[in-house]
Amino acid sequence: MSTQKIPEYCYQCVAGPDLLNVCVEDGVATRIEPNWKFGGIHPGRGTVCVKAYGLIQKTYNPYRVKKPMVRTNPRKGRNEDPQWKEVSWDDALDLVAQKLLAIKAKGLRDENGYPRLAVTFGSGGIAPAYTGTLPALLGAWGPIDFGIGSGQGVKCYHSEHLYGEFWHRAFTVQSDTPRTKYLISFGNNNDASGGVLGVWRHAQARADGMKRVQFEPHLSVTGAHAEWVPIKPKTDAAVMFAMLHVILHENDWKKVCDVPHLKKMTNSPYLIAPDGMFLRDAESRKPLMWDASENRARAFDEKFEPAMAGEYVADGITIGADGEVCTYVGAQVETAFQKLLTHVQTYTPEWAEKISDVSAATTRRVANEFLAHANVGGTIEIEGRTYPHRPVAILLGKTVTNGWGGYECVWARTLMATLVGSLEVPGGTIGTTVRLNRPGHDRLASARPGPDGFMDQPLNPTDKQNWQAKPKLRNAYQTLVPLAGNSPWSAALGPAHLPWLFMKNPPDNWPRPTTPDVWITYRTNPAISHWDSDTVSEMMATFPFIVSLAYTVDETNWNADVLLPEATDLESYQLYRIGGTKYIEQYWKHQGFAIRQPAVKLPVDARDLCDIATELAKRLGMLNEYIAALNKGGGTGIPLKSAEFDFSLPSDVSPSTADIWDRACKAATREMSGGKAEHDLAWFKENGAFFVPFPEKDWFLHGAMEDKGLRYELPYQERIWRSGKELANRLHEQRIEWWDVQLQEYQPMPKWKDFPDIWARIAEQFDKKPDDFDLWLLTSRSMQYSWGSNVGIPVLADVAKNIRGHSGVMMNAATGKKLGIQEGDWVWIESPIKRVKGHAILREGVRPDCAVTLQQFGHWVTPVAKDLDMPNMNALTPLHLAITDATGSGADVVRVRVYKA
Amino acid sequence: MRWGMVIDLRKCVGCQTCTIACKQTNNTPPKIFWRWVADIETGAYPEVRRQFVPMGCQHCTDAPCFEVCPTTATFKRADGIVDINYDLCIGCGYCIVACPYLARNIVFENVPYYAAGLIAPEQTQAHPDRIGVATKCNFCTPRVYAGLASGQKPGIDMDATPMCVGSCIANAMHFGDLDDAKSNVAQMVLANKTARLSDDLGTDPHVYYIVE
Repeated sequence: MSTQKIPEYCYQCVAGPDLLNVCVEDGVATRIEPNWKFGGIHPGRGTVCVKAYGLIQKTYNPYRVKKPMVRTNPRKGRNEDPQWKEVSWDDALDLVAQKLLAIKAKGLRDENGYPRLAVTFGSGGIAPAYTGTLPALLGAWGPIDFGIGSGQGVKCYHSEHLYGEFWHRAFTVQSDTPRTKYLISFGNNNDASGGVLGVWRHAQARADGMKRVQFEPHLSVTGAHAEWVPIKPKTDAAVMFAMLHVILHENDWKKVCDVPHLKKMTNSPYLIAPDGMFLRDAESRKPLMWDASENRARAFDEKFEPAMAGEYVADGITIGADGEVCTYVGAQVETAFQKLLTHVQTYTPEWAEKISDVSAATTRRVANEFLAHANVGGTIEIEGRTYPHRPVAILLGKTVTNGWGGYECVWARTLMATLVGSLEVPGGTIGTTVRLNRPGHDRLASARPGPDGFMDQPLNPTDKQNWQAKPKLRNAYQTLVPLAGNSPWSAALGPAHLPWLFMKNPPDNWPRPTTPDVWITYRTNPAISHWDSDTVSEMMATFPFIVSLAYTVDETNWNADVLLPEATDLESYQLYRIGGTKYIEQYWKHQGFAIRQPAVKLPVDARDLCDIATELAKRLGMLNEYIAALNKGGGTGIPLKSAEFDFSLPSDVSPSTADIWDRACKAATREMSGGKAEHDLAWFKENGAFFVPFPEKDWFLHGAMEDKGLRYELPYQERIWRSGKELANRLHEQRIEWWDVQLQEYQPMPKWKDFPDIWARIAEQFDKKPDDFDLWLLTSRSMQYSWGSNVGIPVLADVAKNIRGHSGVMMNAATGKKLGIQEGDWVWIESPIKRVKGHAILREGVRPDCAVTLQQFGHWVTPVAKDLDMPNMNALTPLHLAITDATGSGADVVRVRVYKA
Repeated sequence: MRWGMVIDLRKCVGCQTCTIACKQTNNTPPKIFWRWVADIETGAYPEVRRQFVPMGCQHCTDAPCFEVCPTTATFKRADGIVDINYDLCIGCGYCIVACPYLARNIVFENVPYYAAGLIAPEQTQAHPDRIGVATKCNFCTPRVYAGLASGQKPGIDMDATPMCVGSCIANAMHFGDLDDAKSNVAQMVLANKTARLSDDLGTDPHVYYIVE
């Protein structure tokens, strides 16, 4: 028997990649092993999580799409059998090319200005690790609508992404876990969603004595190792506001806060004029601070000791919305920090207790423990540089950072860190990723100086001349969400549910989103993963031509016109960046590139996405443009030419997939090693990955901020507020009033609103009574399934059953008893829009007013998954503007009633 | 020599990576777990505790399964591993009832994971000798001894270590020689507060759990 170990990466969740070996015996992949060879580099000893082991069954799944197929039933919808017919690859690709060429002939945008071609990728940020060179073809194409959502905004960490990147280049926010000693978590489910490194690092931190306090409505797998505080859903902001109150009003803030940091690196000392804007020098227009020694206001970038708190009389101007200048003479002004003191004065722990069910004593104790562990004034040396050492961090979960209340929570969390100087320093709350700024792989370099002493940030324009009045994409992210920016990621970060909502019910004075002429889907199943999945299914059935890169038949590609079977994880090529800092818990002392490669002979007639892209490029007459995109790094993320090397593909020859990656391997290793190493595809196939050291200093933005003399834009949000006012002006000029509630989110410092009530009252929108829905239905991630597109793999279902929640809907045992429900009973879970069935799981670790379903199931055609009998809360969650926040996100929250079926 | 494990319950998160890695390494059929992680909830709302406990054969010195086996199929090796000679097992199931740790299983047909039938790895890795007999964890004996034969140290070199330990993403599981005072596991037992499952039964398990 011959046995080979083929190195691969696994990127089935946003906490990767990790490295593995596929054991191949006599040509059959039999098992997955961690790639322990990299145990000294990979911070989790080279291990991979439970999902990676499912790849063997994924490869040999007998229900895979085995050949290209075309639909023969012209009618679409759940009740319409597609009547698939197998066709040759040539016929399938010709058909796709014909539809795309028809678009080219008509023009890439339709009569309403929307791209005729739309593409939806799923699985959060991981799809690019599997798309091969397809993005190069899409990049060469021209305008494409990437904003038709698959459920993002609800399933991601949306406010954290947008505001986190704005405040500290932290699209993803983490703790510096190896050094954190006290961790407050509001619903952050690291042990389910933190991947190998999240689990590995937090486990070690616990063993080393890190304390974690977990505020969440049900006791998650992560809460198991923490002090559990069962908080009422969507009241997290109230408790965080109360913690701010404890820090600032029940302690002497001059002693417990990092005052030098607040003066030097935040906008705390900036003076605020009566109109709420920064008081500025009339000539230089720079924000002013108060110099108590000279009793006068001075520009923020002058060298003096500014006053932190207090009210003063000063002259200056303010710059309001649309450049409106207001001049003040002898005006009563106060510092931003003084505003903050006033802002949180009434948010006492006792006030928060009435809202959140968290006792005032607990809130008070946790806030004070946070301060006690903050080590204000302490320092630590990292690679020769002295940093503040603040071993306290705060993490948030997705339902906390998403939808209404998300802004309030991320503001309060980031501010708590800022007050003690624990933002972006060792032991504290740090970021790992940038997605809206550039360069995307260098967080520190992306911190460029911007206005008023803060970082630059590419907000979408809201001024009269440059605001995008007519949306260019169906989700209108440039029109409605200034914070979403306009990077390649922005379309997916906009209000990606709006296309579905507006296609069905267009709002007033708005160009109705058209259906795209061609919609391409990959690793996405919005018919299951999107909120109000029934409406989404109904709408996609109206799309005239859908191309699905398909693994098995699923609920979305059930509506497809063409299925193109994909060569999956262990069957195709890709070189992908690994290490450095990125996404969840990915901060390494190394960075490099890792390979995915065909480990076994394809068991079905599937193709590598690179082969599909190249073939389509040829058929579309776009080979030159496709190759030009590849040479620039499109698809691979690796430019093939630089000043030091040239591995460019010739423009007139159709490249083989192996040739593309061979050149990418050489270019990547040359670039990363500074010209010291050059490795080809054969080397990567044998060795798996290439690494160079990554400075630990680069885990922390603090150094770059200090070196560039920049301030964190906290606590006061003048820029955000101004952009909101301008956006309001623009929308109202267009007689658009349906976004008015969202516009209220733009505040210089957010106030508490009755967030739970927003979800309670949504019933009225459907002519139902809120009181008829007495339970909160929530969701929670499962490590076995999160992001993996792996619901059809039976061994994962087999092992997942060992963890509570994988057989139905979890409820408090006393609630079950009150409702006459016993363990295992079939129950109906009914929201204002629909009811679904599931088995009851009775627990003590769930609030009596809550029910919880894991992940997203409810499949009706995906093989294996359709037999799991798992309820899907997405079917119950309304698609409605009333539960859409200003960033365009919602939350996995819905009010339901549960009764025996 | 006495092979044993130390499992740090402060670290285990119930992810089931060890469960699936064991299944793949030992080619166990659906619903059969030689290694699995129990999800245990105790207390009453709101004073609730949730704990994850990796379960499997405890390789007891005084193993109840050994005592009840009528055919001597279950035997104790000199290195402390409790193993099964499938040729002698008659599938009576006494050991399954006797084991207080729910560590033993029996299947009577090679059931596929996919209803459509056995897939290639299931076919090539089939174990007809395990049909109708008791099966359980053997501390990956073949893996450990193949590693030893190639000069590796079990518990230190992952290629010579039980797969559940090598795959653990929390670094919660450790393997080694409990009789060697200098071994990783012996040192951990000494340095930490440990417990053994149902210690009061007098089975003298070779698996220790770090509890705090």
